[in-house]
Amino acid sequence: MSDCQGLGDCDDTRMQRIYEYLDGALTREDLTEIKQHLDTCEECAEQYDLECLIRTMVKRSCTESAPENLKNSILDRIHAIKPVEA
Amino acid sequence: MTLVKDRVVLPEPGYGTQPDSPQLTVDLATMSTTEPAAAAMYQAAGADDDAMAAPDVDLATETTEQRRERFERDAMQYVDQLYSAAMRMARNPSDAEDLVQEAYTKAFSAFHQYKPGTNLKAWLYRILTNTYINLYRKRQREPLQSNSDTIEDWQLAKAESHTSAGLRSAETEALDHLPDSDVKNALQSIPEEFRLAVYFADVEGYAYKQISEIMNTPIGTVMSRLHRGRKMLRDMLADYAAERGFRAHTEDQAAAGSNNQEKEK
Repeated sequence: MSDCQGLGDCDDTRMQRIYEYLDGALTREDLTEIKQHLDTCEECAEQYDLECLIRTMVKRSCTESAPENLKNSILDRIHAIKPVEA
Repeated sequence: MTLVKDRVVLPEPGYGTQPDSPQLTVDLATMSTTEPAAAAMYQAAGADDDAMAAPDVDLATETTEQRRERFERDAMQYVDQLYSAAMRMARNPSDAEDLVQEAYTKAFSAFHQYKPGTNLKAWLYRILTNTYINLYRKRQREPLQSNSDTIEDWQLAKAESHTSAGLRSAETEALDHLPDSDVKNALQSIPEEFRLAVYFADVEGYAYKQISEIMNTPIGTVMSRLHRGRKMLRDMLADYAAERGFRAHTEDQAAAGSNNQEKEK
């Protein structure tokens, strides 16, 4: 259990707040409030940093290029079919 | 209706229900998730960087050939992104290719239903997700929900046993050294509905609302999948770091009594 209760009284609540902050799913007031908290609370800032890092890692790892031939295969297929009219 | 310029009012609690009052000034679908401050600006501006300015298309008079050209021009640019998402679904390159091909074929056939000016990439993702569910999940002949429930229980019990101890900055450092392959494996190992939610949020930066539309689930479900998925992912990554000997941080062991469980693994 965390010592800091600045973002909620349990770890779950705290992480939910951090996720919402990370996802930009907060009101402007809440954004400001959480940012101020993260600026001053090392414990919560560490959690936030770690989540940011994981997000960056996921993004980096999952950005792949499709095989060269895939685009052509798709084009071949859509040229071969008649689209269904509305 | 009052226009609140500097204030963004979100539905609460849980974002699951939209209030009837038109006082709502934010469209969740337009939020970027890359940077909180930037996201707030997007909310205020109502911007959506993926949406094109509504082009001059008369869907009623458009010929098949014109539609094909428009599809090739607008939709084909997302092949890499759809392939990356398909790799999170199909688990191997050959199946991922099939999936993307199938999704594009369906998208083309249904392109007259796409509303120009709305987010085309998200529309394609939605078709991809549906294609995956219909095509591959059936093939697996195994109900996804019950399968993931089992994994979920196990994973969550495991997650609770040591996330409470907290990952210190030294572990942030350790995770930073993990190769991409570990990250992909960790992601593959969490249940797919969590994995896809994390993918759409972290890689595409989609807002909860958009993810809920792509995955055809309520926003509250998206939020809980993200929450749990991220917890599992973080836990997995910590395990990988430990296996690779990146956890050279003795303070952690002494920091909390709850760390005992870690040693039992």
